[in-house]
Amino acid sequence: MTVSLSLEGRDRAALPVPSVWQLVAGFTALALRTAESKLTYRLATVLSLIASGLAYCVYLLVWLAVYRENPNPGPLGQQAMTAYLVTAFIVNAILTLSLEFRFIQRVRMGLVGIDLLRPLGFLPFQIAQGVGDALVNFVFVVPIFGVGLYFVGGALMPATAGAALLGGLSLVLAFVVNFGLSYLIVQASFVLQSGYGVLFMRAALHQIFSGLAAPLVMFPDGLRAAATFLPFRHVVETPVLLWLGTAGISEAPLLLAEQAAWALALLFLGELIFRSVMRRHQVQGG
Amino acid sequence: MDVAIETVGLEKSYQRRKRKSGFWAGIRSYFSFESETVSAVSDLSFTIRRGESVGLIGENGAGKSTTVKMLTGILVPSAGRVETLGVVPWKARRHLAQSIGVVFGQKPQILWDIPARASFDLLKAMYAIPDEVYRFTYDEAVERLELAEFLDTPVRLLSLGQRMRCDLAACLLHAPAVAFLDEPTIGLDVLVKERVREHLIEMRRRFGTTILLTTHDLKDISATCERLLVLDRGKLLYDGSREGFQTRFADERTLHVELDGIASDEAKRALDGELAADGVKVAWDGDRRLRVDCPRAASAPRVTAAVLRRLPVRDLTLQGVELDAIVSRLYRNGGKGAG
Repeated sequence: MTVSLSLEGRDRAALPVPSVWQLVAGFTALALRTAESKLTYRLATVLSLIASGLAYCVYLLVWLAVYRENPNPGPLGQQAMTAYLVTAFIVNAILTLSLEFRFIQRVRMGLVGIDLLRPLGFLPFQIAQGVGDALVNFVFVVPIFGVGLYFVGGALMPATAGAALLGGLSLVLAFVVNFGLSYLIVQASFVLQSGYGVLFMRAALHQIFSGLAAPLVMFPDGLRAAATFLPFRHVVETPVLLWLGTAGISEAPLLLAEQAAWALALLFLGELIFRSVMRRHQVQGG
Repeated sequence: MDVAIETVGLEKSYQRRKRKSGFWAGIRSYFSFESETVSAVSDLSFTIRRGESVGLIGENGAGKSTTVKMLTGILVPSAGRVETLGVVPWKARRHLAQSIGVVFGQKPQILWDIPARASFDLLKAMYAIPDEVYRFTYDEAVERLELAEFLDTPVRLLSLGQRMRCDLAACLLHAPAVAFLDEPTIGLDVLVKERVREHLIEMRRRFGTTILLTTHDLKDISATCERLLVLDRGKLLYDGSREGFQTRFADERTLHVELDGIASDEAKRALDGELAADGVKVAWDGDRRLRVDCPRAASAPRVTAAVLRRLPVRDLTLQGVELDAIVSRLYRNGGKGAG
């Protein structure tokens, strides 16, 4: 193989380099247009939210039954548990991105080449689309939060302004961790030509280890220990615990640092794989 | 020489899993990891100067799209050297993206669920297109490609022809230095094709855009390109001017003759006898029309003079061979006769 390596460096100066302002403007415009695209399918978006809400009610009903049988099944009381589950659902709904499905489809149809040829760069291009998805999700969960407040009451609200701030910051980091996991699926789609298998595997791990079904303190020891070493809990449990004040100010720095470390590690790993697969990938469909 | 694109010994090969068709073959493929190497492009060398308009043609599977993907940085070559606008495309893809425009026929370039106008606005922001450039490229596209009536319709509701026009407009909005157009007129009717060609010519005139056009419609090439690259099974068959290609491979001219009256059998035999020595073939279509095929070796004026002398001619036209006829003959012969 005699692929030329001679021109790297010199050439970049020969081309106009996108300015930071251009990248920010392009990123913002893409996020907004992605949100606009998602809003096109009004009924589908609302129905999928209702469907996931109904599916999630199973968790609530199971836990209510558990508390009826045993009022003290673990460290959390019934009200705290209900507040946790409703908040976890809301966080999960905000962070459920269409990114993987969209991307898998684009790889299968050979459309990914077009995404690779945008001056924004491939990673920022995908993040911007994720932001667009999350923006729409956020708008849609506001009424759900209102319904939750009606039924659960003030327990859904953060205990202090500091908890609200930490919860908000943690939600942003949770978005990046979640995106980092999605980005790995994007890379798997490149390698496998179809990323559905990996996507379903990730969904299963997320269900178990993210804290979506219950906070990890309610888990058996072995499962809890395993969850500690995985990134999934930082997508749902960490922002919920910080928002509700279940994790105090003293625990916040470590939790946020872990989240940030996972976010960086996943993005770094994703980029590493991306660079490797770009040398070997094929674009389907001529 | 200001070079836009340069390739030297460019190659691309793929590893492909071997799999036979059928249900049981599908099951067996789960336990078999046999693969084969497929060569898509091999030893491809050419240079395109800035501002040139070049047609890249070849049969299906000849390696045209693979070549475009290597030139744009989507694919990494297996071997050889490639530069587009002075950079190695796959290494500087993001920087290069700012200066190139790409259309892949049948693959939508713009967002599917929102109107084309919104996608154009997005591209303006993403490419930081200066207002004065955008005003020209946008207005030119809307007018020339007649986009106005469906600019606010979601792209998924557009016909193929309408969408292709939007894709082409989107590709050229930022007035790229090089436009890679992979079958930009696929599925378009004759009038729209004309509009697309006019748009390309205008953009090139205004911005000096270098164009690399792959197409199966050779009228696109005739209208917009002065140079041809012909690929056959991944190899370069011809690189030169369009006229040169026609001169080199058009080994026949045809004389179409219409008679005033019916020619006698004696006159027909005499004409056949006079022209046969030069390899000229005469084909009669009824009693009053004939076609005379002149090979390159035969003198067209001499053949014409013989026809006029022997037959009562009312009308006569001499026709050269069209580009698409030459190309289809080359394809049929598997590239023989070129080189």
